[in-house]
Amino acid sequence: MAHLEEQTPQPLASEKLLVDYAKSLDCIHCGLCLQTCPTFRSTGAESSSPRGRIHLMRAVGEGRLTLDAAYTEELDLCLVCRHCETVCPAGVRFGEMMSFARNRRESHSPRSFPARIARFVGLRVLLPNRIALRLMGTCLRFLQLTGLERIAVHFGRLGRGLSDLPRIPPLPARRLLPARIKASGEERGQVALLEGCVMPELYARVNRATARSLALLGFTSHLPSNFVCCGSLHAHNGDHAGARSAARKMIQALEELGDGTLSIVVNSAGCGAHMRSCAHLFDSEDPWHARARAFEKRVIDYSEFVDRELQDREVQLTAPALPRPIAWDDPCHLCHGQGIRSQPRSILARVQGLEQVQLSEPEACCGSAGTYSLTHPEESRAIFERKLEDLEASGARTLITANPGCQLQWESGIRRVGKDTAVMHLAELVQAALLEKKS
Amino acid sequence: MHRLAQELRSILGPRGLIDDPTKLLPYESDGLAMVAVPAELVCLPRDTQEAAACLALLHREGVPVVARGAGTGLAGGATPVANGVVVSTARMRDILEVNPLDRFARVQAGVVNVDLTRAASRHGLRYAPDPSSQMACTIGGNVANNSGGPHCFKHGATTRHIQGLVIVAHDGEILDLSEPHLDPVGYDLVGLFVGSEGTFGLATEVTVKLVPTPALDEVLLAVFSTLDDACDCVSEIIASRLEPSALEILDKLTIEAVEASVFAAGYPVGAEAVLLMEVEGAGPEVEGTSRAIRKIVDRHSPLDVRSARNAEERRKLWAGRKGAFGAMGRIAPDLYVADAVVPRSRLRELIRTTIAICHERNLRLANVFHAGDGNLHPNICYDRRNEEEVARVLEAGHLILKACVEAGGALTGEHGVGLEKLEQMDLLFAPHDLDAMCRVRDVWDPERRMNPGKLVPLRACMELRTTRLEHKPEGIA
Ligand SMILES: Cc1cc2nc3c(=O)[nH]c(=O)nc-3n(C[C@H](O)[C@H](O)[C@H](O)COP(=O)(O)OP(=O)(O)OC[C@H]3O[C@@H](n4cnc5c(N)ncnc54)[C@H](O)[C@@H]3O)c2cc1C
Ligand code: SF4
Ligand code: SF4
Repeated sequence: MAHLEEQTPQPLASEKLLVDYAKSLDCIHCGLCLQTCPTFRSTGAESSSPRGRIHLMRAVGEGRLTLDAAYTEELDLCLVCRHCETVCPAGVRFGEMMSFARNRRESHSPRSFPARIARFVGLRVLLPNRIALRLMGTCLRFLQLTGLERIAVHFGRLGRGLSDLPRIPPLPARRLLPARIKASGEERGQVALLEGCVMPELYARVNRATARSLALLGFTSHLPSNFVCCGSLHAHNGDHAGARSAARKMIQALEELGDGTLSIVVNSAGCGAHMRSCAHLFDSEDPWHARARAFEKRVIDYSEFVDRELQDREVQLTAPALPRPIAWDDPCHLCHGQGIRSQPRSILARVQGLEQVQLSEPEACCGSAGTYSLTHPEESRAIFERKLEDLEASGARTLITANPGCQLQWESGIRRVGKDTAVMHLAELVQAALLEKKS
Repeated sequence: MHRLAQELRSILGPRGLIDDPTKLLPYESDGLAMVAVPAELVCLPRDTQEAAACLALLHREGVPVVARGAGTGLAGGATPVANGVVVSTARMRDILEVNPLDRFARVQAGVVNVDLTRAASRHGLRYAPDPSSQMACTIGGNVANNSGGPHCFKHGATTRHIQGLVIVAHDGEILDLSEPHLDPVGYDLVGLFVGSEGTFGLATEVTVKLVPTPALDEVLLAVFSTLDDACDCVSEIIASRLEPSALEILDKLTIEAVEASVFAAGYPVGAEAVLLMEVEGAGPEVEGTSRAIRKIVDRHSPLDVRSARNAEERRKLWAGRKGAFGAMGRIAPDLYVADAVVPRSRLRELIRTTIAICHERNLRLANVFHAGDGNLHPNICYDRRNEEEVARVLEAGHLILKACVEAGGALTGEHGVGLEKLEQMDLLFAPHDLDAMCRVRDVWDPERRMNPGKLVPLRACMELRTTRLEHKPEGIA
């Protein structure tokens, strides 16, 4: 716990090290990114816009601004949805810049003691540790069953965020996947599959659907046993040391799995986007940099993998029984983070009898954003409002997404307003459709 | 300012006022990044009433006011002024009414151009002016700058599409000119307001004309081995009285930047110039015009001419054009976009002049422009941290404008005068012209508190020098 002690800000050779100054120069201040930014849209304040945040980082780099409370607030308010990257013609790498700035802010201008405790427990104790996560799942379930969670609402932001969580399933439904799940029928290939850190506690069923649908398509899944979290939440929150340690464990575990070259199928867009760019956490001379580069190339999103298979084999799917019509919502870290847009749509188009409607802004953020819905519950809800209006206008009765955070946000948001729209992960739909075809 | 902030906050609510110095920083510039003036306060009213209360208070206190939409303006129009307050329309984003039968829409001034177009498209209609910045800029900003866009070649700039306005005057009085009549009774105050760059008052609601989405549109791309050929081709299309809806030229450097960006459109990298054309209307009309255009193109030794095969290709070709300015950010830290109009018969000659002017000053130049309107946009690369380079850029900009005006053109095609072109106003106008402008301005704002020091040169108005370009090069009067 040594690093939790009050630190005196370290003197720096140059303010420029407080932000990724070189990257901030890519921004030409055109403002084209403003309106896609959820926090600008909800506040109307330019300091809460991508251009504004870059302007502030640049001012820090030029020594015109210190890491004051308002600066921190604006960094924290950002969802790192990276929508601004999709529309920025100058190719500004906002996500990396933000991760860098948050990291430097944490180390040079420490937060209050309770805030540091919360970060430490969350990032360093909970996430990398399966037993701790299980325990947390069980505690939450206890709170929910006894109704004590309603009291949590009175314990500040975090408490309000907790009360938004969906029902935690009973332990048997939260069981982990076995180390190997064999292809059903003739084996066409093998893949590595990740379960994720929080996924098994909240959405073990999505993991089962992922593995099952891969099996139905003829793939044997191998699960690494000796690591838990990919570190994306750490990187997101500026904890680069934590992110590096998680990345090293993950890379090692996957190098040791099978013959060390299996494609790594990821069903969480947030994790996938991070895993595909984790090399930037390491200096280019660090041997881990090269290992991370090789690792990045093996990562493939579930939708990409399945789409390729379905296309190669010209498989048609039949719609299972589910409330219709359905609508697809792009997770930010799938469309903005990984540039994956056509693949999930092409999978859905293959499902015969699946009536589809379109959201008018499928690429807009839902406000989930990793831990954001816990740290900024009010802002997160305000951002979700727009999505909810969009959903209602579309008339969809099932919403399909491909990221646990988004799924959680949609489920709890829909429940909060007393609607009955179903929410499903793409893998759940594919599994059901493949089974439908069999029967 | 502290007491003023408190009073403003009581009008606008806690989230309606920004007074934290850090949070104010991003407002110091608009799209013209070379100029920065700190704002004292930023007000974010939600409707006409709040805006009026806010302006009345600022009137009482005698504080200068700068209106701001999305801050995408390229002439410094939304740059704050010393000791002034910014009134932003960023929280005025409601589309109040879309009337498909009478074909108009009424929106709050902070509505984003593309959001209005999206709302209209549900009724088979559209708002025609489409600045390249349409995904970000506001209707209020478009009104203030009388903005144009590729399709304004056929449809005319913003002023042709504004039917009514609600304006809050300098003293907080609300002026409701929002009756949707095509021909105003008495003086056309709405017409006068459009293009006033925030110097007449704050527009809070805008009634716009909507036009039907054309039955058919065809997008053609012609590739040339010289920029001269592309220019001559446009001059001939214009001279032949053909009416495509848009004619846009992109030069080699621009093509390279676009193709390297998220807006990669499939322009042939390595070509010296491409001409992007659109023809819209009913089926036979489109066919006839395209055929005639292709004939002209063929006379100018094109390397290739092709037409977009589907909606997705059309969208991409346009996205590339609209992202062009931003994509140039990959090539240079900052970009100065000059904006001048030339007679369309002299495109080739004046493009050559701009190239020579930049070449002599060792500046990198990219040309991407609304060729159909003769509206040049020489994009000059620079780095705002290099004072000496900024001076060279401003000098080049000045000489380009001078050449265009001397050739019978105009100072600005669409970006407005703002701060940037203030010094050049007397290239085009005699002192008594400027004097007349001041008198009109005084009718709207006798105290000259609305966007002071913009649009009409200070000397003419004999205003206090509140703001000016930071690095004025030698030799610019
Ligand atoms: C990438 C890029 C491409 C562009 N392409 C084009 C183009 O194709 N055509 C074109 O014409 N322009 C173009 N522009 C310039 C700019 O986008 C337009 O001038 C636009 O209309 C500005 O709108 P805004 O909301 O950003 O206004 P701002 O920049 O915030 O303000 C512009 C001016 O309007 C005034 N103003 C703003 N709102 C109000 C109001 N409600 N009432 C009164 N005054 C107000 C301000 O005081 C200021 O003087 C481009 C800019 C960029 C960055
Ligand atoms: S779109 Fe890109 S270049 Fe333009 S202001 Fe935003 S981040 Fe900067
Ligand atoms: S990442 Fe998302 S929230 Fe953050 S600045 Fe970009 S668009 Fe806004």
